[in-house]
Amino acid sequence: MSRHGIREVRRQLVESGGAGVVAVVLVTVASAWGGALWTARDWVQRELLSRGRASTLVAVARTPADATALRDQVAAAFPGLSAAALAPRTVQEELSGWFPELSTVLLTLEEKSFPALVQVEVAPRQEEAVAAWLRARPDVTMVESSRAWQARLEQAVARLLAVGFAVTAAMLVGCCVVVLLVIRLLVLAHADEIAIMRLIGAHDGDIRRPYLISGAALGLLGGALGSALTAGAALLAHRALPTVAVAPWTYGALPVAGALAGTLGAVLGLASLPSEP
Amino acid sequence: MILLEAVTKNYNGRAALRGISTHVERGEFVYLTGPSGAGKSTFLRLLYRAELPDSGRIIVDDYELARLRHRDVAEFRRRLGVVFQDFKLLRRRTVGENVTFVLSLLALPEKEQQRRAYLVLKQMGLQHRVNAFPDELSGGEQQRVAIARALVLQPDLILADEPTGNLDPDRSHELLELLKTINYQGTTVVVATHDRALIEAHAARTLSLDHGRLVGDAWGPAA
Repeated sequence: MSRHGIREVRRQLVESGGAGVVAVVLVTVASAWGGALWTARDWVQRELLSRGRASTLVAVARTPADATALRDQVAAAFPGLSAAALAPRTVQEELSGWFPELSTVLLTLEEKSFPALVQVEVAPRQEEAVAAWLRARPDVTMVESSRAWQARLEQAVARLLAVGFAVTAAMLVGCCVVVLLVIRLLVLAHADEIAIMRLIGAHDGDIRRPYLISGAALGLLGGALGSALTAGAALLAHRALPTVAVAPWTYGALPVAGALAGTLGAVLGLASLPSEP
Repeated sequence: MILLEAVTKNYNGRAALRGISTHVERGEFVYLTGPSGAGKSTFLRLLYRAELPDSGRIIVDDYELARLRHRDVAEFRRRLGVVFQDFKLLRRRTVGENVTFVLSLLALPEKEQQRRAYLVLKQMGLQHRVNAFPDELSGGEQQRVAIARALVLQPDLILADEPTGNLDPDRSHELLELLKTINYQGTTVVVATHDRALIEAHAARTLSLDHGRLVGDAWGPAA
Protein backbone atom coordinates (compact mmCIF):
# COMPACT_ATOMS: atom_id res chain seq x y z
CA MET A 1 0.00 0.00 0.00
CA SER A 2 1.19 3.52 -0.76
CA ARG A 3 2.19 6.09 1.85
CA HIS A 4 -1.14 7.83 1.15
CA GLY A 5 -3.00 4.62 1.95
CA ILE A 6 -1.05 4.02 5.16
CA ARG A 7 -1.70 7.58 6.38
CA GLU A 8 -5.37 7.30 5.46
CA VAL A 9 -5.71 4.05 7.43
CA ARG A 10 -4.00 5.70 10.40
CA ARG A 11 -6.39 8.67 10.19
CA GLN A 12 -9.40 6.38 9.94
CA LEU A 13 -8.30 4.34 12.96
CA VAL A 14 -7.97 7.53 14.98
CA GLU A 15 -11.32 8.82 13.69
CA SER A 16 -13.07 5.55 14.53
CA GLY A 17 -12.74 6.69 18.18
CA GLY A 18 -14.91 5.05 20.82
CA ALA A 19 -16.72 2.80 18.35
CA GLY A 20 -13.36 1.51 17.12
CA VAL A 21 -12.30 0.78 20.69
CA VAL A 22 -15.56 -1.13 21.23
CA ALA A 23 -14.85 -3.20 18.11
CA VAL A 24 -11.32 -3.99 19.31
CA VAL A 25 -12.58 -4.93 22.80
CA LEU A 26 -15.26 -7.19 21.31
CA VAL A 27 -12.74 -9.03 19.16
CA THR A 28 -10.32 -9.24 22.09
CA VAL A 29 -12.95 -10.82 24.33
CA ALA A 30 -14.26 -13.09 21.56
CA SER A 31 -10.84 -14.33 20.53
CA ALA A 32 -9.55 -14.76 24.10
CA TRP A 33 -12.71 -16.68 24.96
CA GLY A 34 -12.40 -18.78 21.81
CA GLY A 35 -8.70 -19.43 22.47
CA ALA A 36 -9.35 -20.43 26.08
CA LEU A 37 -12.19 -22.67 25.01
CA TRP A 38 -10.11 -24.41 22.39
CA THR A 39 -7.29 -24.90 24.88
CA ALA A 40 -9.75 -26.36 27.40
CA ARG A 41 -11.11 -28.67 24.71
CA ASP A 42 -7.59 -29.88 23.91
CA TRP A 43 -6.89 -30.47 27.55
CA VAL A 44 -10.12 -32.41 28.12
CA GLN A 45 -9.47 -34.54 25.04
CA ARG A 46 -5.89 -35.24 26.00
CA GLU A 47 -6.14 -35.62 29.74
CA LEU A 48 -9.58 -37.04 30.35
CA LEU A 49 -11.13 -38.60 27.29
CA SER A 50 -8.04 -40.38 26.03
CA ARG A 51 -7.81 -42.34 29.32
CA GLY A 52 -9.71 -45.51 30.09
CA ARG A 53 -10.18 -46.54 26.50
CA ALA A 54 -10.18 -50.15 27.65
CA SER A 55 -13.67 -51.36 28.42
CA THR A 56 -13.97 -51.46 32.16
CA LEU A 57 -17.04 -52.24 34.26
CA VAL A 58 -17.23 -50.83 37.73
CA ALA A 59 -19.75 -52.22 40.19
CA VAL A 60 -20.39 -50.31 43.39
CA ALA A 61 -20.77 -52.69 46.35
CA ARG A 62 -22.52 -51.87 49.61
CA THR A 63 -19.48 -52.69 51.76
CA PRO A 64 -15.81 -53.61 51.23
CA ALA A 65 -16.67 -57.19 52.27
CA ASP A 66 -19.42 -57.31 49.62
CA ALA A 67 -16.87 -56.11 47.08
CA THR A 68 -14.46 -58.93 47.91
CA ALA A 69 -17.25 -61.53 47.70
CA LEU A 70 -18.47 -60.12 44.42
CA ARG A 71 -14.98 -60.28 42.93
CA ASP A 72 -14.89 -64.02 43.73
CA GLN A 73 -18.35 -64.52 42.22
CA VAL A 74 -17.29 -62.79 39.02
CA ALA A 75 -14.19 -64.96 38.78
CA ALA A 76 -16.35 -68.04 39.19
CA ALA A 77 -19.07 -66.95 36.75
CA PHE A 78 -16.74 -65.59 34.06
CA PRO A 79 -13.49 -67.50 34.13
CA GLY A 80 -10.70 -65.68 32.37
CA LEU A 81 -11.95 -62.18 33.25
CA SER A 82 -9.77 -59.98 35.37
CA ALA A 83 -11.67 -58.68 38.39
CA ALA A 84 -10.39 -56.68 41.33
CA ALA A 85 -11.99 -55.47 44.56
CA LEU A 86 -11.07 -51.94 45.53
CA ALA A 87 -11.46 -50.63 49.06
CA PRO A 88 -12.64 -46.98 49.46
CA ARG A 89 -9.11 -45.91 50.33
CA THR A 90 -7.77 -47.54 47.16
CA VAL A 91 -10.52 -45.90 45.09
CA GLN A 92 -9.52 -42.53 46.53
CA GLU A 93 -5.85 -43.13 45.71
CA GLU A 94 -6.60 -44.45 42.26
CA LEU A 95 -8.77 -41.48 41.36
CA SER A 96 -6.01 -39.19 42.58
CA GLY A 97 -3.60 -41.07 40.33
CA TRP A 98 -5.90 -40.72 37.33
CA PHE A 99 -6.47 -37.04 37.83
CA PRO A 100 -3.29 -35.61 39.37
CA GLU A 101 -4.65 -32.11 38.75
CA LEU A 102 -7.51 -32.86 41.14
CA SER A 103 -5.52 -34.95 43.61
CA THR A 104 -5.28 -32.15 46.17
CA VAL A 105 -9.05 -31.97 46.33
CA LEU A 106 -9.62 -35.73 46.20
CA LEU A 107 -7.15 -36.53 48.97
CA THR A 108 -8.69 -34.02 51.34
CA LEU A 109 -12.08 -35.78 51.18
CA GLU A 110 -12.98 -38.36 53.84
CA GLU A 111 -12.49 -42.02 52.99
CA LYS A 112 -16.18 -42.76 53.50
CA SER A 113 -16.95 -40.43 50.60
CA PHE A 114 -15.61 -43.14 48.29
CA PRO A 115 -17.35 -46.45 47.57
CA ALA A 116 -16.00 -50.02 47.59
CA LEU A 117 -15.80 -51.21 44.03
CA VAL A 118 -15.31 -54.22 41.89
CA GLN A 119 -13.51 -53.42 38.70
CA VAL A 120 -13.83 -55.87 35.83
CA GLU A 121 -11.84 -55.67 32.60
CA VAL A 122 -13.97 -57.07 29.80
CA ALA A 123 -13.77 -57.44 26.07
CA PRO A 124 -16.28 -55.10 24.39
CA ARG A 125 -18.35 -58.06 23.12
CA GLN A 126 -18.76 -59.35 26.70
CA GLU A 127 -19.56 -56.00 28.22
CA GLU A 128 -23.36 -56.13 27.99
CA ALA A 129 -23.62 -59.68 29.42
CA VAL A 130 -21.29 -59.02 32.35
CA ALA A 131 -22.98 -55.69 33.10
CA ALA A 132 -26.40 -57.39 33.16
CA TRP A 133 -25.08 -60.12 35.43
CA LEU A 134 -23.63 -57.54 37.83
CA ARG A 135 -26.84 -55.47 37.87
CA ALA A 136 -28.76 -58.55 38.89
CA ARG A 137 -26.68 -59.00 42.08
CA PRO A 138 -28.52 -57.74 45.19
CA ASP A 139 -25.27 -56.53 46.82
CA VAL A 140 -24.50 -54.22 43.86
CA THR A 141 -25.95 -50.72 44.02
CA MET A 142 -24.72 -49.41 40.68
CA VAL A 143 -22.89 -50.62 37.58
CA GLU A 144 -21.04 -48.25 35.35
CA SER A 145 -19.29 -48.96 32.11
CA SER A 146 -16.22 -46.90 31.26
CA ARG A 147 -17.46 -46.66 27.67
CA ALA A 148 -20.83 -45.30 28.77
CA TRP A 149 -19.15 -42.91 31.17
CA GLN A 150 -16.80 -41.76 28.46
CA ALA A 151 -19.66 -41.32 26.00
CA ARG A 152 -21.56 -39.19 28.51
CA LEU A 153 -18.49 -37.11 29.27
CA GLU A 154 -17.79 -36.62 25.59
CA GLN A 155 -21.39 -35.57 25.06
CA ALA A 156 -21.28 -33.11 27.95
CA VAL A 157 -17.96 -31.65 26.79
CA ALA A 158 -19.26 -31.38 23.22
CA ARG A 159 -22.36 -29.52 24.42
CA LEU A 160 -20.34 -27.16 26.56
CA LEU A 161 -17.97 -26.50 23.69
CA ALA A 162 -20.82 -25.95 21.23
CA VAL A 163 -22.38 -23.38 23.55
CA GLY A 164 -18.99 -21.76 24.15
CA PHE A 165 -18.15 -21.55 20.45
CA ALA A 166 -21.65 -20.23 19.71
CA VAL A 167 -20.95 -17.44 22.19
CA THR A 168 -17.61 -16.79 20.43
CA ALA A 169 -19.33 -16.69 17.06
CA ALA A 170 -21.99 -14.32 18.43
CA MET A 171 -19.27 -12.00 19.72
CA LEU A 172 -17.49 -12.09 16.34
CA VAL A 173 -20.79 -11.26 14.62
CA GLY A 174 -21.13 -8.41 17.12
CA CYS A 175 -17.65 -7.25 16.12
CA CYS A 176 -18.67 -7.39 12.44
CA VAL A 177 -21.69 -5.24 13.22
CA VAL A 178 -19.64 -2.70 15.17
CA VAL A 179 -17.00 -2.50 12.41
CA LEU A 180 -19.82 -2.17 9.86
CA LEU A 181 -21.18 0.79 11.82
CA VAL A 182 -17.72 2.32 12.25
CA ILE A 183 -17.03 2.09 8.52
CA ARG A 184 -20.49 3.37 7.64
CA LEU A 185 -20.01 6.38 9.90
CA LEU A 186 -16.58 7.05 8.41
CA VAL A 187 -17.98 6.80 4.89
CA LEU A 188 -20.76 9.23 5.80
CA ALA A 189 -18.26 11.61 7.38
CA HIS A 190 -16.01 11.37 4.31
CA ALA A 191 -18.78 11.52 1.71
CA ASP A 192 -17.55 14.84 0.29
CA GLU A 193 -13.97 13.66 0.21
CA ILE A 194 -14.95 10.39 -1.48
CA ALA A 195 -16.82 12.37 -4.15
CA ILE A 196 -13.73 14.53 -4.69
CA MET A 197 -11.48 11.49 -4.91
CA ARG A 198 -13.71 10.08 -7.62
CA LEU A 199 -13.66 13.38 -9.52
CA ILE A 200 -9.87 13.42 -9.56
CA GLY A 201 -9.60 9.89 -10.86
CA ALA A 202 -9.72 7.48 -7.92
CA HIS A 203 -11.05 4.02 -8.69
CA ASP A 204 -13.58 2.36 -6.42
CA GLY A 205 -10.74 0.14 -5.24
CA ASP A 206 -8.55 3.15 -4.35
CA ILE A 207 -11.38 4.46 -2.18
CA ARG A 208 -12.44 1.16 -0.61
CA ARG A 209 -8.99 -0.21 0.19
CA PRO A 210 -8.16 1.99 3.21
CA TYR A 211 -11.58 1.31 4.76
CA LEU A 212 -11.16 -2.45 4.30
CA ILE A 213 -7.69 -2.30 5.80
CA SER A 214 -8.97 -0.20 8.71
CA GLY A 215 -11.69 -2.78 9.42
CA ALA A 216 -9.17 -5.61 9.17
CA ALA A 217 -6.73 -3.69 11.41
CA LEU A 218 -9.36 -3.22 14.11
CA GLY A 219 -10.07 -6.97 14.03
CA LEU A 220 -6.38 -7.87 13.85
CA LEU A 221 -5.56 -5.69 16.83
CA GLY A 222 -8.40 -7.27 18.82
CA GLY A 223 -7.28 -10.76 17.78
CA ALA A 224 -3.67 -10.03 18.76
CA LEU A 225 -4.80 -8.76 22.17
CA GLY A 226 -6.99 -11.87 22.46
CA SER A 227 -3.93 -14.03 21.72
CA ALA A 228 -1.99 -12.25 24.44
CA LEU A 229 -4.88 -12.70 26.89
CA THR A 230 -5.11 -16.40 26.01
CA ALA A 231 -1.39 -16.80 26.61
CA GLY A 232 -1.72 -15.01 29.96
CA ALA A 233 -4.70 -17.12 31.00
CA ALA A 234 -2.87 -20.31 29.98
CA LEU A 235 0.12 -19.28 32.11
CA LEU A 236 -2.14 -18.79 35.11
CA ALA A 237 -3.99 -22.06 34.48
CA HIS A 238 -0.65 -23.85 34.10
CA ARG A 239 0.08 -23.28 37.79
CA ALA A 240 -3.00 -25.28 38.82
CA LEU A 241 -3.07 -27.72 35.90
CA PRO A 242 0.50 -28.26 34.68
CA THR A 243 -0.58 -30.10 31.53
CA VAL A 244 -2.56 -27.13 30.18
CA ALA A 245 -0.91 -25.79 27.02
CA VAL A 246 -2.10 -23.49 24.23
CA ALA A 247 -1.64 -25.00 20.76
CA PRO A 248 0.95 -22.76 19.01
CA TRP A 249 -1.24 -22.27 15.94
CA THR A 250 -3.86 -20.63 18.17
CA TYR A 251 -1.65 -17.56 18.53
CA GLY A 252 -1.78 -17.05 14.75
CA ALA A 253 -5.37 -18.15 14.24
CA LEU A 254 -6.93 -15.68 16.67
CA PRO A 255 -5.59 -12.51 14.97
CA VAL A 256 -6.51 -13.98 11.58
CA ALA A 257 -10.07 -14.69 12.78
CA GLY A 258 -10.28 -11.16 14.17
CA ALA A 259 -9.00 -9.67 10.92
CA LEU A 260 -11.52 -11.69 8.90
CA ALA A 261 -14.39 -10.53 11.14
CA GLY A 262 -13.21 -6.91 10.80
CA THR A 263 -12.84 -7.21 7.03
CA LEU A 264 -16.31 -8.70 6.69
CA GLY A 265 -17.74 -5.83 8.75
CA ALA A 266 -15.91 -3.32 6.55
CA VAL A 267 -17.16 -4.98 3.35
CA LEU A 268 -20.73 -4.72 4.62
CA GLY A 269 -20.15 -1.15 5.82
CA LEU A 270 -18.90 -0.13 2.37
CA ALA A 271 -22.26 -1.05 0.88
CA SER A 272 -23.21 2.53 1.78
CA LEU A 273 -20.46 3.96 -0.43
CA PRO A 274 -22.01 6.44 -2.88
CA SER A 275 -21.66 5.41 -6.49
CA GLU A 276 -20.92 7.20 -9.74
CA PRO A 277 -23.80 8.81 -11.68
CA MET B 1 -10.44 16.96 -28.38
CA ILE B 2 -13.93 17.97 -27.30
CA LEU B 3 -17.12 17.52 -29.26
CA LEU B 4 -20.62 18.37 -28.08
CA GLU B 5 -23.65 17.60 -30.23
CA ALA B 6 -27.08 18.97 -29.27
CA VAL B 7 -26.32 18.61 -25.57
CA THR B 8 -29.16 19.33 -23.19
CA LYS B 9 -29.16 19.22 -19.41
CA ASN B 10 -32.07 19.96 -17.09
CA TYR B 11 -32.26 20.22 -13.33
CA ASN B 12 -35.72 19.66 -11.89
CA GLY B 13 -37.30 20.70 -15.15
CA ARG B 14 -35.19 23.86 -15.47
CA ALA B 15 -32.90 23.84 -18.49
CA ALA B 16 -29.23 24.44 -17.60
CA LEU B 17 -27.97 23.74 -21.14
CA ARG B 18 -30.09 23.79 -24.28
CA GLY B 19 -28.95 22.08 -27.43
CA ILE B 20 -25.25 22.98 -27.17
CA SER B 21 -23.16 21.95 -30.17
CA THR B 22 -19.52 22.91 -30.44
CA HIS B 23 -16.06 21.45 -30.66
CA VAL B 24 -12.61 22.27 -29.31
CA GLU B 25 -9.52 21.18 -31.22
CA ARG B 26 -6.57 19.51 -29.54
CA GLY B 27 -4.14 22.19 -28.31
CA GLU B 28 -6.71 24.99 -28.29
CA PHE B 29 -7.16 27.55 -25.51
CA VAL B 30 -10.83 28.35 -24.99
CA TYR B 31 -12.68 30.62 -22.60
CA LEU B 32 -16.18 29.76 -21.57
CA THR B 33 -17.94 32.90 -20.46
CA GLY B 34 -21.34 34.21 -19.57
CA PRO B 35 -23.24 35.63 -16.59
CA SER B 36 -23.94 33.65 -13.44
CA GLY B 37 -26.40 30.84 -14.18
CA ALA B 38 -25.51 30.82 -17.87
CA GLY B 39 -24.47 27.14 -17.65
CA LYS B 40 -20.64 27.42 -17.55
CA SER B 41 -20.20 25.10 -14.58
CA THR B 42 -22.73 22.60 -15.95
CA PHE B 43 -20.84 22.64 -19.27
CA LEU B 44 -17.62 21.75 -17.44
CA ARG B 45 -19.27 19.18 -15.16
CA LEU B 46 -20.48 17.37 -18.24
CA LEU B 47 -16.98 17.43 -19.70
CA TYR B 48 -15.41 15.69 -16.70
CA ARG B 49 -18.42 13.39 -16.46
CA ALA B 50 -19.57 14.47 -13.03
CA GLU B 51 -22.96 14.36 -14.73
CA LEU B 52 -24.46 12.91 -17.86
CA PRO B 53 -26.48 14.93 -20.39
CA ASP B 54 -30.20 14.37 -20.71
CA SER B 55 -29.76 14.25 -24.45
CA GLY B 56 -27.02 14.80 -27.01
CA ARG B 57 -23.53 13.40 -27.31
CA ILE B 58 -20.25 14.41 -25.68
CA ILE B 59 -16.86 13.14 -26.81
CA VAL B 60 -13.74 14.12 -24.86
CA ASP B 61 -10.31 12.85 -25.86
CA ASP B 62 -11.92 10.06 -27.92
CA TYR B 63 -14.09 8.93 -24.99
CA GLU B 64 -17.83 9.06 -25.63
CA LEU B 65 -18.82 9.96 -22.10
CA ALA B 66 -22.35 8.52 -22.00
CA ARG B 67 -21.02 5.16 -23.14
CA LEU B 68 -18.04 5.12 -20.84
CA ARG B 69 -17.99 1.96 -18.76
CA HIS B 70 -18.12 2.48 -15.02
CA ARG B 71 -14.61 1.17 -14.46
CA ASP B 72 -13.19 3.40 -17.21
CA VAL B 73 -14.48 6.65 -15.71
CA ALA B 74 -11.53 6.93 -13.31
CA GLU B 75 -9.04 6.26 -16.12
CA PHE B 76 -10.71 9.00 -18.17
CA ARG B 77 -10.55 11.51 -15.33
CA ARG B 78 -6.87 10.78 -14.75
CA ARG B 79 -6.23 12.25 -18.19
CA LEU B 80 -7.80 15.53 -17.16
CA GLY B 81 -6.70 18.29 -14.87
CA VAL B 82 -9.72 19.91 -13.32
CA VAL B 83 -9.67 23.13 -11.27
CA PHE B 84 -12.95 23.26 -9.40
CA GLN B 85 -14.71 26.49 -8.55
CA ASP B 86 -14.96 25.42 -4.91
CA PHE B 87 -11.43 23.94 -5.01
CA LYS B 88 -12.53 20.50 -3.78
CA LEU B 89 -9.43 19.95 -1.70
CA LEU B 90 -9.16 16.93 0.58
CA ARG B 91 -9.59 18.61 3.97
CA ARG B 92 -7.93 15.89 6.03
CA ARG B 93 -4.80 15.90 3.90
CA THR B 94 -1.94 18.33 3.73
CA VAL B 95 -1.19 20.49 0.72
CA GLY B 96 1.56 18.06 -0.27
CA GLU B 97 -0.75 15.08 0.06
CA ASN B 98 -3.48 16.80 -1.95
CA VAL B 99 -1.06 17.22 -4.81
CA THR B 100 0.65 13.83 -4.59
CA PHE B 101 -2.64 11.97 -4.14
CA VAL B 102 -3.45 12.12 -7.84
CA LEU B 103 0.08 10.95 -8.62
CA SER B 104 -0.26 8.03 -6.19
CA LEU B 105 -3.30 6.91 -8.20
CA LEU B 106 -0.93 6.49 -11.13
CA ALA B 107 1.33 4.40 -8.89
CA LEU B 108 4.29 6.67 -9.54
CA PRO B 109 7.32 6.04 -7.33
CA GLU B 110 7.26 7.98 -4.06
CA LYS B 111 10.29 10.09 -4.95
CA GLU B 112 8.87 11.03 -8.33
CA GLN B 113 5.62 12.08 -6.67
CA GLN B 114 7.53 14.29 -4.23
CA ARG B 115 9.66 15.78 -6.99
CA ARG B 116 6.73 16.63 -9.22
CA ALA B 117 4.67 17.98 -6.34
CA TYR B 118 7.53 20.20 -5.18
CA LEU B 119 8.06 21.62 -8.67
CA VAL B 120 4.42 22.46 -9.22
CA LEU B 121 3.95 23.86 -5.71
CA LYS B 122 7.04 26.01 -6.22
CA GLN B 123 5.53 27.21 -9.48
CA MET B 124 2.45 28.21 -7.47
CA GLY B 125 4.54 29.82 -4.73
CA LEU B 126 3.35 27.31 -2.18
CA GLN B 127 6.46 25.25 -1.52
CA HIS B 128 6.61 26.54 2.08
CA ARG B 129 2.99 25.46 2.75
CA VAL B 130 3.46 21.81 1.82
CA ASN B 131 2.62 20.53 5.31
CA ALA B 132 -0.32 22.89 5.90
CA PHE B 133 -3.90 21.67 5.81
CA PRO B 134 -6.38 23.37 3.43
CA ASP B 135 -8.29 24.99 6.28
CA GLU B 136 -5.08 26.75 7.33
CA LEU B 137 -4.78 28.43 3.92
CA SER B 138 -6.35 31.58 2.53
CA GLY B 139 -8.87 31.29 -0.30
CA GLY B 140 -6.24 32.30 -2.83
CA GLU B 141 -3.77 29.74 -1.50
CA GLN B 142 -6.40 27.02 -1.63
CA GLN B 143 -7.14 27.93 -5.22
CA ARG B 144 -3.47 27.67 -6.08
CA VAL B 145 -3.31 24.22 -4.46
CA ALA B 146 -6.29 23.18 -6.58
CA ILE B 147 -4.47 24.46 -9.67
CA ALA B 148 -1.26 22.69 -8.63
CA ARG B 149 -3.20 19.44 -8.27
CA ALA B 150 -4.63 19.84 -11.76
CA LEU B 151 -1.25 20.68 -13.31
CA VAL B 152 0.85 18.04 -11.60
CA LEU B 153 -0.70 15.31 -13.74
CA GLN B 154 0.58 17.01 -16.88
CA PRO B 155 -2.82 16.26 -18.44
CA ASP B 156 -3.89 16.42 -22.07
CA LEU B 157 -6.83 18.63 -21.13
CA ILE B 158 -7.24 21.19 -18.37
CA LEU B 159 -10.72 22.28 -17.34
CA ALA B 160 -10.75 25.27 -15.01
CA ASP B 161 -13.91 26.63 -13.43
CA GLU B 162 -13.35 30.26 -12.40
CA PRO B 163 -9.70 29.56 -11.54
CA THR B 164 -8.99 33.22 -10.80
CA GLY B 165 -12.08 33.79 -8.67
CA ASN B 166 -10.12 34.04 -5.42
CA LEU B 167 -6.86 35.45 -6.76
CA ASP B 168 -5.70 39.07 -6.76
CA PRO B 169 -5.20 40.64 -10.24
CA ASP B 170 -1.45 39.99 -10.30
CA ARG B 171 -1.89 36.33 -9.37
CA SER B 172 -4.74 36.05 -11.90
CA HIS B 173 -2.54 37.28 -14.72
CA GLU B 174 0.31 35.04 -13.59
CA LEU B 175 -2.05 32.07 -13.62
CA LEU B 176 -3.34 32.91 -17.08
CA GLU B 177 0.26 33.22 -18.28
CA LEU B 178 0.97 29.82 -16.79
CA LEU B 179 -2.08 28.25 -18.45
CA LYS B 180 -1.07 29.85 -21.75
CA THR B 181 2.44 28.43 -21.40
CA ILE B 182 1.02 24.97 -20.70
CA ASN B 183 -1.26 25.42 -23.70
CA TYR B 184 1.72 26.32 -25.94
CA GLN B 185 3.22 22.99 -24.91
CA GLY B 186 0.22 21.22 -26.45
CA THR B 187 -2.28 20.92 -23.63
CA THR B 188 -5.87 21.83 -24.41
CA VAL B 189 -7.22 24.37 -21.90
CA VAL B 190 -10.84 25.34 -21.24
CA VAL B 191 -11.32 28.13 -18.71
CA ALA B 192 -14.75 29.15 -17.45
CA THR B 193 -14.70 32.75 -16.29
CA HIS B 194 -16.87 35.85 -16.23
CA ASP B 195 -13.83 38.12 -15.87
CA ARG B 196 -13.95 40.16 -19.13
CA ALA B 197 -10.77 42.04 -18.24
CA LEU B 198 -8.86 38.81 -18.08
CA ILE B 199 -10.21 37.69 -21.45
CA GLU B 200 -9.27 41.03 -22.96
CA ALA B 201 -5.77 40.85 -21.53
CA HIS B 202 -5.17 37.25 -22.62
CA ALA B 203 -7.34 36.98 -25.71
CA ALA B 204 -8.33 33.56 -27.03
CA ARG B 205 -11.32 31.81 -28.54
CA THR B 206 -14.34 32.54 -26.37
CA LEU B 207 -17.56 30.55 -26.14
CA SER B 208 -20.35 32.65 -24.68
CA LEU B 209 -23.26 31.06 -22.86
CA ASP B 210 -26.49 32.73 -21.81
CA HIS B 211 -29.43 30.96 -20.18
CA GLY B 212 -28.01 27.61 -21.26
CA ARG B 213 -27.62 28.55 -24.92
CA LEU B 214 -24.39 29.02 -26.82
CA VAL B 215 -24.75 32.60 -27.98
CA GLY B 216 -21.23 33.36 -29.17
CA ASP B 217 -18.08 31.72 -30.49
CA ALA B 218 -15.44 34.32 -31.32
CA TRP B 219 -11.89 35.51 -30.65
CA GLY B 220 -11.78 37.66 -27.51
CA PRO B 221 -14.68 38.84 -25.37
CA ALA B 222 -18.11 39.20 -26.94
CA ALA B 223 -19.16 42.71 -27.59
